[in-house]
Amino acid sequence: MVRHKTYAFMFAAGLSFLLAFATTGLSKDVSWAEKTSALTPSASAPTGTLTANELKELTARGEALFKATFTDLDGVGRPGATQAILPTKARSKALNKFARTSGLDAGSCAACHNQPFIGGAGDFVTNVFVSEGFTNADFDSTDPQFSNERGTNHLFGAGLIELLAREMSTDLASHRKQVLADARKVGKSASITLITKGVNFGILSADPDGLLDLSNITGVDDDLIVRPFSQKGVMTSLRQFSVNAMNHHHGMQADERFGDRWTGEADFDEDGHNDEVGAADISALVAWQATLPSPQQTFPKDEDWQQAAIEGEKAFGEFGCDTCHIKALPLKVLSFSDPGPFDVSGTLNSTSVKDSAIYDLSLLAWTGSLERNEKGEILVPLFGDLKRHTMTDQSNEQLGNEMLSQRFVDRTIFLTSELWGVGSTSPYGHRNDFTTLDSIIRAHGGDAAFSKKLYSDASEDSRLALIAFLKTLVIQP
Amino acid sequence: MNNPPKTLSVLGISLFALNFASANAEEVRAFTFDVPSMQEQSQTAGITHSYTGPWEFFVGGGAASMDCNGDRMPDLFLAGGDSSAQLFVNRSKTKGALKFKAQPIKIPERDLLKVLGAYPINLDNDAYQDLVVIRLGENLLLKGLGNCNFEKVNRAYSFDGGREWTTGFSAIFEKGNSFPTLAFGNYVDRSAPGTPWGTCHANQLIRPFGEQKDIPNYSQPIKLEPGFCSLSMLFTDWNNSGEPALRITNDRQYYRGGEEQLWQISPDTLPKLYTQRQGWKKLNIWGMGISEADINGDGRPDYVLSSMGDTMLQTLDEEADEDLPVYRDIAFDRKMTAHRPYVGGDAKPSTGWHTQFADFNNDARADLFIAKGNVESMKDFAAFDPDNLLLGGLDGTFHEMGDKAGIDLNRKGRGAVVQDFNADGMLDLLVVNRKDNVSLFRNLGIKTEWGHAPMGNWIGLELDNGLINKQAIGAKINVKTGNLNQTKTVQIGGGHASGQSGFIHFGLGVAERATIRIQWPDGDWSPEYRIHANQFAVIRRDEDKPLYWVPVEE
Repeated sequence: MVRHKTYAFMFAAGLSFLLAFATTGLSKDVSWAEKTSALTPSASAPTGTLTANELKELTARGEALFKATFTDLDGVGRPGATQAILPTKARSKALNKFARTSGLDAGSCAACHNQPFIGGAGDFVTNVFVSEGFTNADFDSTDPQFSNERGTNHLFGAGLIELLAREMSTDLASHRKQVLADARKVGKSASITLITKGVNFGILSADPDGLLDLSNITGVDDDLIVRPFSQKGVMTSLRQFSVNAMNHHHGMQADERFGDRWTGEADFDEDGHNDEVGAADISALVAWQATLPSPQQTFPKDEDWQQAAIEGEKAFGEFGCDTCHIKALPLKVLSFSDPGPFDVSGTLNSTSVKDSAIYDLSLLAWTGSLERNEKGEILVPLFGDLKRHTMTDQSNEQLGNEMLSQRFVDRTIFLTSELWGVGSTSPYGHRNDFTTLDSIIRAHGGDAAFSKKLYSDASEDSRLALIAFLKTLVIQP
Repeated sequence: MNNPPKTLSVLGISLFALNFASANAEEVRAFTFDVPSMQEQSQTAGITHSYTGPWEFFVGGGAASMDCNGDRMPDLFLAGGDSSAQLFVNRSKTKGALKFKAQPIKIPERDLLKVLGAYPINLDNDAYQDLVVIRLGENLLLKGLGNCNFEKVNRAYSFDGGREWTTGFSAIFEKGNSFPTLAFGNYVDRSAPGTPWGTCHANQLIRPFGEQKDIPNYSQPIKLEPGFCSLSMLFTDWNNSGEPALRITNDRQYYRGGEEQLWQISPDTLPKLYTQRQGWKKLNIWGMGISEADINGDGRPDYVLSSMGDTMLQTLDEEADEDLPVYRDIAFDRKMTAHRPYVGGDAKPSTGWHTQFADFNNDARADLFIAKGNVESMKDFAAFDPDNLLLGGLDGTFHEMGDKAGIDLNRKGRGAVVQDFNADGMLDLLVVNRKDNVSLFRNLGIKTEWGHAPMGNWIGLELDNGLINKQAIGAKINVKTGNLNQTKTVQIGGGHASGQSGFIHFGLGVAERATIRIQWPDGDWSPEYRIHANQFAVIRRDEDKPLYWVPVEE
């Protein structure tokens, strides 16, 4: 019996060795090796305030990782795990390593984020199929009962977006603290309107015993954390998004969520590679994304277009577009800390490390061109409000094509798309299936129905002027 | 990074290495999850309290934890044996050091003596938690009045506290009743001929009697005979029938012909013992404490029973008829026998008392705490016998981490409560010790080179069942994160002479949100509640959305 076990073990070990050898290929460390040299899974993540040179070095590595076409030698693939954001074992091995629907669906980040250039949005061909990945994880259909089909967003100005969201979350937490203190002080219920940076998230009520009623808040989660990323506004940070995406699209699993601290396994996805993506790798990816310049309004040489754009910007206000697509939100500080303050376990956050790294975005030349208000705050020209809204109604369900809610957000509710860069990132809509700005405007329903009606009822010249204006919101090299 | 072997000559070495590694794998890489750092803070927290007394107080030594002043922070009632029981009001700062302040209990001093344990429960459906105090002699029903004041209501509730040596308690709301049914577990009858050997008192079941309007009437006790010197009891829905059963663990030290017991408790009928014909297997242990959790994910509760020597983990035998209470022990398979001290080198058997499942490291896996300590000076059992902290690992196995967590003190543990005393989302621990001060461990999170850091995500849930059975005793909570379902039943009873109420804690691991459903005590299911992690939520029956509770920030 013992002998049988020994032979069986030797056979299994030998087979494992052969399989490992077969799947990992030529691993010798040469400059032409088929693996990503920018990956340094065992490196330490940066800490403290980085100098301009340090930041430049880090973002260069981040860009290299963003561009890299990951290979088997890097640890591409997740035969034993699904695309889910929680470490989830696959119930059955997928037929193919790559699958356009359930993933792996891309060789690199840049394979999709490339319009008008790296870091940008993507054409319809780069759409991703978002599924929770817990059940039916290896779906091979575009049927919306299995996944939500989404276009690829651009990342320009993403660092400013996250900083805005953090300041808004801090404000909302402060409001929560205030209303609780008020209720305790007067010994009866108190309410507060949750307004931050001019954006109204509804009414929060508190009882003296510390109970909160959040039934009248809107556009933000119950924990009052503004999640500014993804079409639905369900991702807290670039870091969280990067960890998710590396697993979903490439089967490259970050230790900070899929490592043995949380899963008990160094190779949770069972692809023969331990510890595929380290904290320093994610930090580099975050640093590069966070420092991407923001899109800015750029007028064409065509004087007629210039004039039309000026008229269009007025119409933008008259139609009420700027109710949600707020031209600019004020930002107090340009220090981007990573890991950040609002992520929770599963993504590194500021409480899980000794020191976060601080990226001083004011070191970047492009931030110098951003306008400031009388308080000295930076005016981030995002044309958005970082708030979720209902986008369909019974008379207009063009944006209601999804069947699945995502992370507690109903199927018809989406984050206000930031319009900066919209002139460079057609097609439009969360599914990337509106070919013109006119058609996506007309698809607005729900909370935006009135604005859409004003637009539809306006003269053709006014509508054309609005398009002229939107086309000045571009991403420039 | 993975570095595969490069040559065949290396293969042999690798095989050897693998073989060697395999032999040591469980030791070296068995547990990679967080180990909480538990810091003893009883003195700085202001709790000076020991459980003392002669032979009758070798057992008992319980604690009750509940919010008695309406601030939702858990306060403490501690049994003292022949010392006075004490009440400590929680003054801990949110996420800060643990602080308690003793507050006099305005009942006759003699009632605070000879206390073995206590359980919090809302007996009369008002706004306050009441206490059932178990004693050597008359048991007490203490009505909560707010501000941590209590009054004795034995007479008002027609409750005869008896003269037995009471060592266990549990309560449940039976269908159709407005007030809870109470069960008292009794130990040795010291007045019987031949005592203490073979002279166990009967246990008691007391249903609310007559018209059930404003206050309960507990005038009609039912004897649960035979009694086998119970040390813990727990109402449990072992077969998911919606009808409670009463599981009792008994001390073989004193009974004759006894065994572990499971009583069938059907409304309006007399309790009946499950018998061997119904599959109940005779089990003789020095039963000290009970705790339940669904360890193997079969949807049925599994039971841990502390004893002298091996701890038992009983699960329904999957090969038996599912309607029969046929249990088999899986403690060895799950590596949680905890049969002797894990540090100190004493090879003699341990003595286990309070048991409690809880997620100490917030990794979404159940962990097990066992209070340990020699009965007094039994030479055949370990003298240095530290409490256990068995953390749940992969494949449902448990890993002893008491020493790494810092709870391996040289004290004789008895009862305990596992609560988040400072509302930081990490479970703390209070252990009542015999002839020694209580141990109050603050959970600091994981220890790092630079300090302490939080562990996994969590939620705290408080249920409100409405006018009757406000704290929803008997409700089942289902917390779903990804493909993982965690279930817990709201229970009063079990452990060792210790109980708790208040927020029910779930670790969520790396999940940042959870979907929650409640099966209320009457069997009705709630809608789905969607809650983001790291918050305290209050779920009120018939309300679609939870309320959230935020502790006072200092």
